[in-house]
Amino acid sequence: MMPPVAPVEIRNLTKRFRGVEAVKDLSFDVQPARVTGFLGPNGAGKSTTLRALLGLVQPTAGTATFAGERYDKLDRPSTHVGAVLEDAAFHPGRTGRNHLRVLAVIGSHPTSRIDEALETVGLTEAANRAVKGYSMGMRQRLAIASALLGDPQVLILDEPTNGLDPPGIAWMRDLVRGQAARGRAVLISSHLLAEVAQSVDDVLIIAKGELRAQGTLEQVLGGNEETSTEVKARDLDRLAQLVQAQGHRIERTGDTLLVLGAEPEQVGEVAAREGVALRYLAPRGRSLEAAFFALTADTGAPAWGIAAPATPPADGAAPEEPT
Amino acid sequence: MSALLRAELLKLRTTRTFVALVGTALVLSLAIVVLVVLLSDDLTEADARELFTTDLTPLFILVLGIMGFTGEWRHRTITGTILAAPERLRLVIAKVLAYAAAGALLSLIVTLSVMAVGSLLLSVTDKSTVDISDLADVLWRNLLVAALLGALGVCIGGAVRNQITAIVGVLVLSFVVEPILFGVAPEVGKYAPFSATNGILGFIPFSDEVPLSEVTAVLVMLGWIGLFFVATAQLLRHRDLV
Repeated sequence: MMPPVAPVEIRNLTKRFRGVEAVKDLSFDVQPARVTGFLGPNGAGKSTTLRALLGLVQPTAGTATFAGERYDKLDRPSTHVGAVLEDAAFHPGRTGRNHLRVLAVIGSHPTSRIDEALETVGLTEAANRAVKGYSMGMRQRLAIASALLGDPQVLILDEPTNGLDPPGIAWMRDLVRGQAARGRAVLISSHLLAEVAQSVDDVLIIAKGELRAQGTLEQVLGGNEETSTEVKARDLDRLAQLVQAQGHRIERTGDTLLVLGAEPEQVGEVAAREGVALRYLAPRGRSLEAAFFALTADTGAPAWGIAAPATPPADGAAPEEPT
Repeated sequence: MSALLRAELLKLRTTRTFVALVGTALVLSLAIVVLVVLLSDDLTEADARELFTTDLTPLFILVLGIMGFTGEWRHRTITGTILAAPERLRLVIAKVLAYAAAGALLSLIVTLSVMAVGSLLLSVTDKSTVDISDLADVLWRNLLVAALLGALGVCIGGAVRNQITAIVGVLVLSFVVEPILFGVAPEVGKYAPFSATNGILGFIPFSDEVPLSEVTAVLVMLGWIGLFFVATAQLLRHRDLV
């Protein structure tokens, strides 16, 4: 029996621009009813991959399909796929409603869908204003309304929180979770790792055009992770000496000590035995940021625009092999 | 294709560009007709017929067509347009048909207005008027020229992409290059894209040269449109939108 066709399938995708390989033999699936985070530093090939998927860029080799069909071969594509790209642009003189009217005509969507989409993104009151008067957040909401117009099975979102204020970001999180709950496949590219970590089920990490990790969020965060404990104490220097004497490596940031390779119980026992008063003791989980930096360390990821993690990845942490 | 065509016409209607161009073309064309009728003492019926033909619609519809495609690049809406209509060849065809229709509509509004006002003024000032069959003859010729130039404008805009370059280019071509070419070698100049429209209109302004026949002129125009259409389709088809 043939395996079921995934809503999004990338197979051996390669794209070269004037000899530069932006994407190298990339393969992955995006599953229905899941939110998949697509992460990578600037220039990693995320946008090129998404644009190849959406028929905006011609692959040099490989395929990028929706349920086995190329985007440009889909009948009424807006009913299959909704996309918000990073550079979503609108004619400045056209109103938000008229922009959606044009898309509704192309996609043969009923007029009622325009009002529904506007209401979903909270633009009903501004719908009859020209887009040139919209804030960046409003434009982003209009782009999202455009993507939702055909109630598509797949949502492709490239930096969808750009321009959104904190309530807008929370709204976006609810939106993508809601879409997944309705069985939709959501592929979301974002540089807000903490935000992505709250929204996604699965994670894809690419760097230099190659897949560095893929799996559930837990798999990616847990891969090659070393147990560690964060601790604060009145006499931090003494505690540091004590845990080092137990064979643990330490890292100190301000008044916080990170004890690598130790459970909180082990650190607590040492402190109790030696009479060191503790002010804070907690396990340190591997953050998505930490996983990201570990997997993209060779790309100079801090230039990506986010702060480097307080804890660099443990020595020898090897990225999960792409599948 | 029908949905794409309706969407392109809706795009036209939902910005101020079309209304502004129609208004400007109408005002300028009416001003020319009013001034010529009022200031000319010896206006013959043939002069009046020619006057109704030489409105400014072709120039405006040409610019409108150019803006119809170059605007997609200027406002960076081309990505969204192709996402909505991923078959790029069909998109170009829809735009060509939409702007041909828009050209005919713009010409209909301007020509009928010019004819109504001009005929009234001719009648009031006791000058020779143009009979209804000749007005009908002028009307279809104007509409056909406007439709062809609308289509040509879209194709030039798609091939050139830069709005300013495209508009300045066609203005230089129509007002400088073609007149010089026609002056130097009229038998060749008649086939140039904008001079060829004279064959459809039935006369060459300020010249005694015999224009191309209507059929030949239409075929020549379709040839120019086809040339720029192929260039536009090829450029768009192979272009990565990054």
